[in-house]
Amino acid sequence: MKNILKIIAINFTLLLGMSTYINAHHAFTAEFDPNAPINITGKVVKVEWINPHAWVHVEVKDMGKTTVWMVEGGTPNTLIRNGINKKTITPGTVIVVRGYQSKGKLCLPRCIANGRDITFPDGRKVFMGSSGTGAPRDGSDPRERR
Amino acid sequence: MKKFLFIGLIVAPLMSGLNAEEWGNTKTWFGDPDLQGTWTNASLTNLERPDYYDTLIVSEEEARATLRMSEEFSEEVDNPYKDGESPQAGDNVGGYNVAWMDPGTDLFKLDGKYRSSILTYPEDGKLPRRYIRWGLEAYGMYRMFTVADHPEERSLGERCLVGFGSSGGPPMLNVLYNNNYQIVQSPGYVMILVEMNHDARIIRLESNHNPDNMQPWLGDSVGTWEGNTLVVKTKNHHPQQKFRAGIRHQILIMEGAEITERFTRTDENEILYQFEVDDDKAYKDLWRGEMPLRSADGEIYEYACHEGNYAMANILAGARAEERK
Repeated sequence: MKNILKIIAINFTLLLGMSTYINAHHAFTAEFDPNAPINITGKVVKVEWINPHAWVHVEVKDMGKTTVWMVEGGTPNTLIRNGINKKTITPGTVIVVRGYQSKGKLCLPRCIANGRDITFPDGRKVFMGSSGTGAPRDGSDPRERR
Repeated sequence: MKKFLFIGLIVAPLMSGLNAEEWGNTKTWFGDPDLQGTWTNASLTNLERPDYYDTLIVSEEEARATLRMSEEFSEEVDNPYKDGESPQAGDNVGGYNVAWMDPGTDLFKLDGKYRSSILTYPEDGKLPRRYIRWGLEAYGMYRMFTVADHPEERSLGERCLVGFGSSGGPPMLNVLYNNNYQIVQSPGYVMILVEMNHDARIIRLESNHNPDNMQPWLGDSVGTWEGNTLVVKTKNHHPQQKFRAGIRHQILIMEGAEITERFTRTDENEILYQFEVDDDKAYKDLWRGEMPLRSADGEIYEYACHEGNYAMANILAGARAEERK
């Protein structure tokens, strides 16, 4: 019996390790499909600055068909503290989104994806890293203390 | 009494910091030591000590190495593909770009020395887990990550009830982002607003615990002042809040656990936060930890989680799609 419980405990630890690696506000794999990568380019039509995740709506035109994607980003609290605000992406801006589609794939009323990274067509990152995101420390971030 | 609390919550922030100049003696307008402000525990130091450190206190060189590792990891996470390349199907995607997160930028220092873990006891910096108990409780955790028949089965963070990990505490531990707290005091109360998910822990001063059948989110906390230190005792933890799992830590807090926290303002920009967890069902021994709460710039942005929680509908839709396969 003790051995069985130990096996359960080890399995639990593995499960925990796996799930926490990809867990933010929610478990990534519960919502998105890692086997459904996307790489889309389109015009921003709407930005929802809401918790627990900001959402950017992108209109993609392909072969005469227009599809609107809702792209999930980070929590606005974190983005604001990293110097990212509503003016960073505004409607009309063209962006490139790489990420993964939702498992539902219904596209009703809009297709849904996570925004793993977002760039402008010329390669510049839309969300620039600050010293709080692992970029070199330059002393400009008040959180770099002592 | 409720009216007093309400007035205190409104007035106290306005009156904060108007008294003595030395922080050790600074009082609120009603005479309690002043802990008020917005604070953060964001740091690269985790609850448990990584295997590559042997000691609690680490050198400047080791601390710099940790920062380099963090930056290299960020670089790797942010740039897994060349420009124009698409993510590969089946990749371990890791979820998000690092720009979405805010884990902290350094190992924290106490007494001028870098720390490799929040844990100070046991001395090896590892939780003294009772693995058999953890195994017995594992099924509940397993269901939270795998079953999606209805919203109530999902994890507390996904349901916008409390933040993931032990962000709200007690003990209050650092997670990947939103590591911010606002402390507001009024006569007879200390309120700690936890940014994620907008949880307010109201600590009653010089009060008894509520009956044991009352088990609120974040537990039942009562406090007392020992000199300039606020000592908070919490028990009667919510039974659904046993597992607190995030990337930075995984802890198990049973309903009968007794947790003692100590808050001491050491200067204008820092509170020394210490805690002890006594939970003999889940652990073979006590465990203790300490870390600074450092002043944070700006105010807390409201975490109105339910209003924008598209994730829950997407998770349930995803589960239905899986069933159709």
